[in-house]
Amino acid sequence: MDIKTRWGRFTRTPAFNGYAMISPTAFYALLLLAAPLGTVVYLSFMTDGAGVREVINQPTIGNYLTAWTDPIYRALMLRSLFVSTLVTLATVILAFPVAYYISFFVTPNKKSLWLFLITIPFWTSYLVRVFLWKVILGFNGVINSGLISLGIIEDPLTWINVNVGAIVVTLAHAYAPFAILPIFVALEKIDRSLLEAGRDLGETALTTFWRVTLPLAMPGVVGAVLIVFIPTVGDYVTPDIIGGGKIPLIANVIQKLMLGIDNMPLGSSVAVSAMLIVGAAAAIFVLINARFLKVKK
Amino acid sequence: MTTRPMIELKDVQKYYGDYHALRGITADIRAGEFFSLLGPSGCGKTTLLRTIAGFEDITSGVVMIDGKDMEGVAANQRPTNMVFQSYAIFPHLTVEQNVAFGLRKDPRTKEEKAKAVDEALQMVGLKGFGKRAAHALSGGQRQRVALARALILKPKVLLLDEPLSALDKKMRENMQVELIRLQRQVGITFILVTHDQEEALVMSDRIAVMFDGEIAQLDDPETLYRLPKSRRVADFIGHMNFLPAKVVDEANGEIDVDVQGLGRCHINAKQAPGTNTGGEASIGFRPETLTILYEGQSASDRETTGSVEEVVYYGDMTYYDVKLDGVADPVRLSMRNVPGRPVLDRGTKTRVAWSPSALVLFR
Repeated sequence: MDIKTRWGRFTRTPAFNGYAMISPTAFYALLLLAAPLGTVVYLSFMTDGAGVREVINQPTIGNYLTAWTDPIYRALMLRSLFVSTLVTLATVILAFPVAYYISFFVTPNKKSLWLFLITIPFWTSYLVRVFLWKVILGFNGVINSGLISLGIIEDPLTWINVNVGAIVVTLAHAYAPFAILPIFVALEKIDRSLLEAGRDLGETALTTFWRVTLPLAMPGVVGAVLIVFIPTVGDYVTPDIIGGGKIPLIANVIQKLMLGIDNMPLGSSVAVSAMLIVGAAAAIFVLINARFLKVKK
Repeated sequence: MTTRPMIELKDVQKYYGDYHALRGITADIRAGEFFSLLGPSGCGKTTLLRTIAGFEDITSGVVMIDGKDMEGVAANQRPTNMVFQSYAIFPHLTVEQNVAFGLRKDPRTKEEKAKAVDEALQMVGLKGFGKRAAHALSGGQRQRVALARALILKPKVLLLDEPLSALDKKMRENMQVELIRLQRQVGITFILVTHDQEEALVMSDRIAVMFDGEIAQLDDPETLYRLPKSRRVADFIGHMNFLPAKVVDEANGEIDVDVQGLGRCHINAKQAPGTNTGGEASIGFRPETLTILYEGQSASDRETTGSVEEVVYYGDMTYYDVKLDGVADPVRLSMRNVPGRPVLDRGTKTRVAWSPSALVLFR
């Protein structure tokens, strides 16, 4: 009886409404995110069996020892972080002017049109876009054949294809909208009178940007960095297609371990390790910028 | 003190596309005065202020500050500083950093600058607030930070864009007094933009009343209140009663008018400050220039009769709408509620004292 009335009272509170509203999403997240993640963490502490997909239920930290001591994983992880950092830098630095232009120079009634146009790349499959870049940058691609037919070069350029640069270009293009949007939102929130105040207090347009606009846009920049950096570390399609399998990143080796070599425990431990490293890198980045993120309004 | 004015505006015109925002503003603002731009929203007062600050280019005309033509001089190069309507306090900085924002190029040492910041904060009554985050301040405190941030640069002119409109009534009245005190203390020319006529009257040495991109009248508060040049100005500043009138005779600085309900009046030509537009004439008078006569009292000048139609009690004052005999619309008059003076009921027949010397003629 007591429990029944308590339950009855609880169902009428705003908190209950809140829980009721998020429960489908929470259930979905739990089932499709937490459960697989838990499985991967569980597998990473198990022992590999001889059979296909066979895992022996025997706890060990051997997988982690391999993952953290074998130089191949360290090299691939470092390369992944290096590529992701390059991609993030390129994306955010290129996205900022676009976001700035839309926020400050596009008339308010045209802003949504511009944002809509920026999402156009999403209309095609990511794979198609990656292949398009291969067509453009490839050995016999648009750029090379174009330059050769113009007589500017005699032999195809190799530094634009099958290398880290090509991967960076492709990924930076793919993630551009993700970087533009958070920066745009942060710029939109800046009270324009703050910029006038900067001018009024003796600063030029440029110094006002450094002292007012950029610090206030930092929450958006931080968001953009995280949104670009975290998924690119785990990207394996682009290095596979653009790099022609010659420049594997950490995700490629995880895929190989899981499905190719069929060592799920080791693959899992590399995956968990990579996740921890990316998480730590992201956390450090957020902490460095903490003073910008505290500002409300 | 007949030095040249701090700000000279000569036929300043401003167009936004087809919209004519400023239609030939000509005015001199004296050094060290508290000057107000008063008018309804859309009258161009803020545009004029932003023009002086350098945020708006003018289409034609001249803006001189301290004898220098401001043509082509950017906002950051002008000897003016502004207190914005939204205060524009930098949310990512502390109070101290906000106040010190404009001191970056100041050649003084760090210690001297810190001392200046402390002094500025003390001046606006925010001593000890330096380390606080700016976004955690209340509206009144932000305003003070904005003031300190502008005044620390010792500008020749301080521009205030409706600085008090976001504050509640009590706070606003306190800040009005503080701003006057501050202005006297620092001796800087203050230019205030406001739509609040009371605020302008209380604070200003002189007021420019603006309508439709033009200055309708520029005078000290008392002249503006007692001798408005047009019905529109009279209506905008305080309350004014209007009665239809007819000019009968005009000679030697004297005017004879026939006023509905009040009869033939003899007034001085100074009581017709506006230009003669040739339109229909009317007589205006403020509520406090009429006095209800209680039993046994007699008028010192003239009196007329009427009946009380509406009573509005304000505590210190009572406003009466009185229908004067022979006048179509009731007129408003105000009486101070002194002891022994009862508040009249509606419908009471009463005698009202008035004087032709308090009338203003519009024509």
